[in-house]
Amino acid sequence: MSENKQKTWGTSYGEMVWHEFAKSKFTLCWLGFIILLFLLAIFAPFLANDKPFFIKIDGQLHWPLFKAFTASDYSIFLAATVAVIQLLLVFRNRKSVDPSIRSGVLWRQIFISVFVVLVGIIFLYIFIPRRLDATDYKSMVASGKATNAIFAPIPYGYGRTDLKVREQPPNRQHWLGTDDVGSDVLCRLIHGSRISLSVGFVAVGISSIIGIIIGAILGYSGGKTDFLGMRLVEIMMAVPVFFLIITIVAFFPRSLFNIMLIIGLTTWTDDARFVRAEFFKLRRQDFVQAAVSLGLPLRSILFKHMLPNAIAPVLVNATFGIAGAIFIEAALSFLGFGVAPPTPSWGQILSLGVSTTGRFLWWLTLFPGLAIFFTVLAYNLVGETLRDAIDPRLREST
Amino acid sequence: MSDNGILLDIKGLCVNFFTENGVAKAVQDVSFSVKKGETFALVGESGCGKSVTALSVMRLIADPPGKIVAGEIIFDGRNLLELSEHRMRSVRGNSIAMIFQEPMTSLNPVYTVGEQIVETIRLHQKKNEVEAWELATEMLRKVGISDPGQRITEYPHQMSGGMRQRVMIAMAISCEPELLIADEPTTALDVTIQAQILDLLDQLQGQSQMSVLLITHNLGIVAERARNVAVMYASRIAELSDCKSLFDKPLHPYTQGLLKSLPRLGFTGKRLYTIPGIVPEPLHFPAGCKFHPRCPIGCNNKRCQTVEPQLRSLDNGRAVACWFAPGYERPDDPK
Repeated sequence: MSENKQKTWGTSYGEMVWHEFAKSKFTLCWLGFIILLFLLAIFAPFLANDKPFFIKIDGQLHWPLFKAFTASDYSIFLAATVAVIQLLLVFRNRKSVDPSIRSGVLWRQIFISVFVVLVGIIFLYIFIPRRLDATDYKSMVASGKATNAIFAPIPYGYGRTDLKVREQPPNRQHWLGTDDVGSDVLCRLIHGSRISLSVGFVAVGISSIIGIIIGAILGYSGGKTDFLGMRLVEIMMAVPVFFLIITIVAFFPRSLFNIMLIIGLTTWTDDARFVRAEFFKLRRQDFVQAAVSLGLPLRSILFKHMLPNAIAPVLVNATFGIAGAIFIEAALSFLGFGVAPPTPSWGQILSLGVSTTGRFLWWLTLFPGLAIFFTVLAYNLVGETLRDAIDPRLREST
Repeated sequence: MSDNGILLDIKGLCVNFFTENGVAKAVQDVSFSVKKGETFALVGESGCGKSVTALSVMRLIADPPGKIVAGEIIFDGRNLLELSEHRMRSVRGNSIAMIFQEPMTSLNPVYTVGEQIVETIRLHQKKNEVEAWELATEMLRKVGISDPGQRITEYPHQMSGGMRQRVMIAMAISCEPELLIADEPTTALDVTIQAQILDLLDQLQGQSQMSVLLITHNLGIVAERARNVAVMYASRIAELSDCKSLFDKPLHPYTQGLLKSLPRLGFTGKRLYTIPGIVPEPLHFPAGCKFHPRCPIGCNNKRCQTVEPQLRSLDNGRAVACWFAPGYERPDDPK
């Protein structure tokens, strides 16, 4: 393979799309904003926590913050670490792996990564016990029992209630104020970003996978299967999704996982229709016919040869879908159907804006509202630029 | 292995397309056979059913609207029309491969040509990625692509039409098929590239003893390359012959017209002959012989207008479907 060593690999479709995408500096800023949000969500326990990094009690050093990590904290760290490693591996592959086996290597790596994350999360949830550390470290420091404590920049826990400071507007201690039970709003916002972002990703992941599989089968098979399938999709579309979700949520326990699942199971119709339309078009294309004539199995034709050519609308729809899912989750939480407190969520903080005493607490409405607004805006802008980058013909018409 | 060296034997093939406006009989009662190692040409105008015949062999007719309603396609002793889709998949690419008309669109734009060839090789042969990649490079060299080590890492959009067609050929022959169906392989290419591609097919055929079913509307190509020819007109075979006799003494008036409309060397000054009229649409075929409205000898003949002539074999191995051809009773007896 010596002659393969110096050859240059052609520009791939992905590279071309990225090149187009990166032309818009404005959208790049919003992409940066999304990345920042992700960092905020991943490192939330380090930014806002009522437990100190370390503390000296009776001359002994303790690490309460690290000891209090839950299975979900560890899962997020694991997923983030694997994602970063995978990204680095992609860049390393481009330099050091021979082109002939590169795609095989990449798929193997992605498979291993996904496997590690899934198995890891299951193990973490089984083996990490729920610890409840209700020690009030701050009063220990204040009373002089403990020394040398270093706290997170926002030294409040999201589940910690303090009725002495309830319903306070923004001040020096609580930058964005406190809610009806005296929890710090900034802390709850930071921890709430985890809920919003993961709802967006998992729900859209589920709906895209369902939509792609159903759309691919309908679009490729055509005929009666397609006719019956599309009528089912249309029935699904005729049902107002939001009310369906509210109804379903009323019957099932209010857990984050259920909400993700329900959003995912009810919003796949658009993806199915997009993929079906693309497959309909692609089915008669020469290269698909050529793939059939070379005897490739149906699985390879559908998902290896047709899907990459049909994925563009799904990708774009996914970015809008993430924004939509964040919106649905916020709305559900606002109406009281969302995740159960004390788990923080943006919509839930928003719903506290009108207090039980009838006062309008503007800081409880403004800040989570802004967070939702900017996140949804960022995803929509990124989605729009991505659509233009994928299909340059669209840009001239708009 | 079937006897007397026949690799592909098509018997009485009928393909219909069931459209909203009615049933289009795209292929009617087509029979011919391709021997091992020979080049068999299927000639005809656009829409005469030659591509549909080729797609039928691969069982690639879109269903719906198309359907093979009758006939047998015997390949290597097996009737392809009776195979399960699963068994058919191992025939495609492995025993029969196909090259399409339009090289610009017959490669998948999202993969490098190497990845596409390697996938085919690994599907039909037990080879690891590195071996398959080496074989793919070798194949590209074989079809005359310079610097195959570099070219194999490129995407289809980085190549010219002629190069893409070479890649398609490399892909098709990489699993050493016994039959290669070339559906107008050179129509989309310019003339110099056409000759190169056809020379390449000849050369590859000589090396591996594969049969080629060449589908074309270019009689020049037929004269140079094919051993046997079937001329199709309006979904039927008009004339079946070996190449030399066809050009020396065409029997069907349609073939005669075609040959007359070819420009010859030294032909100057005069207007080129054309067959009057146009090809009938499959939904509105004329009654009787489908060629009779355009036929110089049969247009006023009662029998030509009412009864369709069947393809009938002659002594010298040729066959023709015309009431005026030798071997038929004289058509002018009043009826």
